This record gives sequence, C-alpha cells and structure tokens, in this order.
Amino acid sequence: MANSHLRRCLALAFCVCVITACSQKNVVVLVPDPDGSVGSITVANAAGSVEIDAANESTAIRDAETAPSAPVEMGQKDIDNLFGPALAIQPQPPLHFILYFEKNSTRLKPSSLAVLPDILAAVQTRRSDHISVVGHSDTLGDKSYNLALSKRRAVAVKKRLVKKGVDEAFIETTSHGEENPLVKTADNVGNPQNRRVEVVVR
Amino acid sequence: MKLTSLLMLSVAVFIFIFATGAAAEEFVGLVKSVEGQASVLRGGETKDVVASMEIKMGDVLKTGGDGSVGLIFSDDTIISMGPRTELAVEEYLFEPIEGKLAFIAKILRGTVSYLSGQIAKLSPESVQLVTPAATIGVRGTHVLIKVD
Repeated sequence: MANSHLRRCLALAFCVCVITACSQKNVVVLVPDPDGSVGSITVANAAGSVEIDAANESTAIRDAETAPSAPVEMGQKDIDNLFGPALAIQPQPPLHFILYFEKNSTRLKPSSLAVLPDILAAVQTRRSDHISVVGHSDTLGDKSYNLALSKRRAVAVKKRLVKKGVDEAFIETTSHGEENPLVKTADNVGNPQNRRVEVVVR
Repeated sequence: MKLTSLLMLSVAVFIFIFATGAAAEEFVGLVKSVEGQASVLRGGETKDVVASMEIKMGDVLKTGGDGSVGLIFSDDTIISMGPRTELAVEEYLFEPIEGKLAFIAKILRGTVSYLSGQIAKLSPESVQLVTPAATIGVRGTHVLIKVD
C-alpha cells in the first residue's frame, strides 16, 4: 500500500519535471537553404547569445535564464527524427517571372512571350491558386498615366493566363506604376527593364 | 444641424468600412499544404485550417497529434509546422516601397521549419523568431526550431 503510494508520488514528480523543467527546452538548428547555401543565425536571451553559421550546427536553450549552449553539429538522422513531418510538408518556394513590354504599350516583348509557357507549367506543377500579377512602368511621362499603364499591363498578362486555362479567381492583379522600378532612374527616363510585369506563382 | 451630423456620421461609417475593408484585403500569406488536424485562432474564433485559406496577422495556428501545415507568405517566407505545434504570427509587414518590413513569429511549442523570404533579405533585423527561452535572428536562411 505504502509502496504503491510512493510509486504514485514518484510518477507525479516525474510528470511535473517533464512539464516544467524539461518543457522549456528549445533546440535551434541551422540547415542549408534549398539552393545549398548556408546563412547565419543569432540565438539570444537575457543570459547570452550564440552565433551559428555552419550547416547543421545546433544550439540548445534550457530556459530564458540560461545562455544558449555552444553550437554542436546535429546528425542528419536526428534532424529527420525531430523535424521529419515539418520538413515533409514544407512548400516549395514561390516562383518569380518577369515579363517585359514595348515602350508605352501593353504588348509583350517576343522574348517575354516565350516565358508564358513556363508560367503555365509552374501553375500546373504547383497546383497554384494564388498567383500575383504586378504591373510596373518606367518613369517616362506622368505618374498617374504610368499607374494606369502598369495596371493595363497586369490585366493584359492576366487575360493571357486566363485564355490558357488558368482560373480567373486564382489571379490577383496589382499595379505599382513607376514607384517600384527594377532599375532606379531619374524622373522622366525611359527604361526597358522597368517596363514590366512580375508574376509570382505560389 | 441634425441632417449635417447624420451626414457626417454616415461619412465616418463609410470611411471606416472602406478603410478596414482595404486593410483586410492585403495578402499576407496562405496555407499551401495541410495534413491531419489543424486549427487557427483568429479574433477569438477557432476555425479548421484548410488548404488555400489565407493567413492574417495575429493568427495563432495549432496542429494536432497527426497534423502538419505548410505556409507561404507574400514575401516568399515559408513556414512549416510539425505535429503538436503552436505558432503565432505576431507581426507581418511587407511594404518594400515604403520600407515597412516586419516579421515576428512566436513558436510556443512543437517543431517549425523557417525559410527566409524578402523581408529577411531586405532587412534582417526586422525578422524575429521567438521561442519561450530565446529569440532567433536570421540572415537569409533556413532554420529548424523545436520547443518542448
């Protein structure tokens, strides 16, 4: 009887430990980007901070009052064990396309016309239902005219995609006019790289 | 007199509806993939997470024991959550033309994979991944975080 009471007490104490002391343990791992490059992170709290800039290096933090541990490498097996489900559901990064236009026109340059099939393929493989089409212009001419022109360009691209079978409801068009140039220029300067529409397929 | 105040009130109501309506339309992010049970707490209400639904600033996402979720934000940031995970989108601001950039996510428990987007590229100091024990700052990168 007393024995079973003791056991229950021990079990309870164990649970409390798991919920409190061990519950605050955090682990942070730096892993390579999809392109293979490795960035860097700083893990910090009131007690200290740690810099990590090598692939698969990790730090553990017991609680907010204890400094993060010195970095140690985490094996691929441990990474998969701990983060398998989160990594398995990680979406592919969105794809960006830039389409260029003739001067003061909604007519696509021939080289950009050739990019349209790539956009359609991306929409298909990603089963994308969130596509952004953002129109831009260079700074030649009036600001409000350019806003309207960039809008017409975005709508022209949307029309082309819809014509090829993309659901209209999946495409959101916005226009930035001359406010967001690819190449910074003075006002009233024509620039072929700024006469564009950017398409993001998510 | 009465008529003018009524008119002013209706103008105010119109401006309010227009302003909040416009703010609500700003695209923050979307649920690209979901498996098993997952929910989102938004404005005091809990809803099931479904594919293609949009994410808003302030959302608190939770996955069940069999749940996992993949999110894509408008700046290309990617966050995915494993089972028994809770994550709050504390702050999100992506207006590069105005230079307004912020990304603060709170990881309350579980496992999270974070893949940086344009906010981290343009302004690394504007990104914070907050766990109960520490804060993670990133410089264009892929980070895995586990909170027990």
